Amino acid sequence: MQLKGKIAVYGQIALLVVLVLLPFVVTSRYLTHIFTLILLWSFVATAWAYMARFGMVSLGHGVFLGIGAYFPMLMFNYWGVTPWLGILAGLVVAVAVAALLGYTCFRFGLLGDYFALVTLAVAEVSSLTVMALREVTGGSLGCTLCATGRMADMQFEDKRVYYFMALILLMGAVYIWRRIDRSPIRLALTAIEESEIAASSLGVSVIRYKVLITLLSAALTALGGALYAQYVTYVSPDTIAGVSVSLAVCFKAILGGMFTVLGPFVGSAIIVSLEEYIRIALGTSFLGLSQIIFGVTLLLMIIFLPKGILGSISEKIARRLDRVTVR
Amino acid sequence: MFDQIVMALLNGILLGGVLALLAFGLNLIFGVVKIIHMAYGQFVMLGFYFIYYFYSSWSVPLIPAMAMGIVAMALIGVLTQLLIINPLLNAPRLNQLLALASLIIVVENLAQVIWGADYRGIPLSMPIIQFGDIYVRSSFLLAFGGAILTLLLLYLFLNRTYLGLGIRAVAQDLDMAKAVGINPKVIYILTLATGGALTGLVAAFFVPIYTVHPHFGASFTLMAFVIVVFGGMGNLLGGFISAFIIGIVTSVTAVLSSAEAANILALALFIGMMMVRPQGLLGTES
Repeated sequence: MQLKGKIAVYGQIALLVVLVLLPFVVTSRYLTHIFTLILLWSFVATAWAYMARFGMVSLGHGVFLGIGAYFPMLMFNYWGVTPWLGILAGLVVAVAVAALLGYTCFRFGLLGDYFALVTLAVAEVSSLTVMALREVTGGSLGCTLCATGRMADMQFEDKRVYYFMALILLMGAVYIWRRIDRSPIRLALTAIEESEIAASSLGVSVIRYKVLITLLSAALTALGGALYAQYVTYVSPDTIAGVSVSLAVCFKAILGGMFTVLGPFVGSAIIVSLEEYIRIALGTSFLGLSQIIFGVTLLLMIIFLPKGILGSISEKIARRLDRVTVR
Repeated sequence: MFDQIVMALLNGILLGGVLALLAFGLNLIFGVVKIIHMAYGQFVMLGFYFIYYFYSSWSVPLIPAMAMGIVAMALIGVLTQLLIINPLLNAPRLNQLLALASLIIVVENLAQVIWGADYRGIPLSMPIIQFGDIYVRSSFLLAFGGAILTLLLLYLFLNRTYLGLGIRAVAQDLDMAKAVGINPKVIYILTLATGGALTGLVAAFFVPIYTVHPHFGASFTLMAFVIVVFGGMGNLLGGFISAFIIGIVTSVTAVLSSAEAANILALALFIGMMMVRPQGLLGTES
């Protein structure tokens, strides 16, 4: 047990050092862009896994991403409100939507598949809303952030700033995950996942804990959406709201392993690099072919590594270490 | 305005018939294999492309091309069962869902690589029938009639044949079905073949109405979902009734407001239903 703990701690410290030094060692702007995307999506996938690891699988996190991305951007474009404030507004709206959605779902006792399907429908509503309000949001053509390049508008010449912002967010998400693990919230939610009736008979407030973790997950997801919009400076319902991005977030977390704290990071790193690699290797001559390979790879991984990559590997290592310590 | 609403109502009923057929396959697969086929609408899109391909590249006459499209889709259904669903039968629900969702990526991009992103269609001119001030497209009428006829045949197949009995037995109680000597794997393959053939058939009815493009299927997947869950997952009669409700609601709202508003309303109905009666219109609590 101690050996396992030590390996995990040293491994994580080493990873952090590598991540901090990475943008100074690798100066290629393109690679820094890819690393930033990896960290950003890891952050969102980690926030998604907050809920999913307690059995609340949401297929609708695109809603929160979309709110987080669109609100600051539109407020800046139309009213000139600085994104530093706009992000707060987006957060408040996302949390309000999450409270409404979470409370109604959990109040009516929606579990498992049913919760997943309702959130999927909500995700579709979010992209339809963006389309319906096309005069403001640009509809499916998307929306571009007005460029000023000023720090007060959260725009930076040096793109590495966004890298470190994403890294800090990810570290924050990992820290909160750890805090949850050590708090009564985890016990309560585990009990609720096992049996809601038994948990509530022991005095655990089922709805309150479930809504709490939903709010946390939604707020962080909205923050991720906001940073994405500020960094990429272009949003459209396909890339940041709606069903496809919601599913993309799940893919990343599940592929890495949603029950381990670094699983979403591993999954995002693999998927983002795989997508980029196939796209570059095949070029634009076969538009769509890269996505086919990507889809088939996903299928194979889901079939053959059902616990996620990090989940399967760490399970194997743990078993081997157990055998060593027993001897 | 009144005429428009009456026309929308009529179109809603006609659309409802086709939607009922669309939802039937999804519902059957859910009821028997207990899997949510996330790529169902995309299969309709693929069926449409097959018919288009046989018709335009192999110059097969239209009706045989449609028949070939249906057979091809039945084969695709069988392949889906053998390659994707079989290995995941005992996997967690979420993994099954995501595997079929990644099939969406594969199918949509496959269509894009093979046929390109252009809108493809088979030009057919079908007459418009007039009753007083009300106009009905005969292509809609044909699709409606065909859908209802197919549903009737499926009803007879499920209730009057030995194979149908086997399918219903597996849907009702897997262990008992096994105990009386039914091989569920065979039934699953048969179900996916039926579901696949139905996507081909729906595509055939869509040929005179729509043109196809790689993202054609997405809206139908969601529509079929909404109908199936609204009526009660695995409940075939519930799906039939809710197809008409959703068809009428969406086409009337689309006339009164916009297409997006119509879809949002359908989804809102669906979400509300899930909250109040998660077992659906006719489902029984489990």
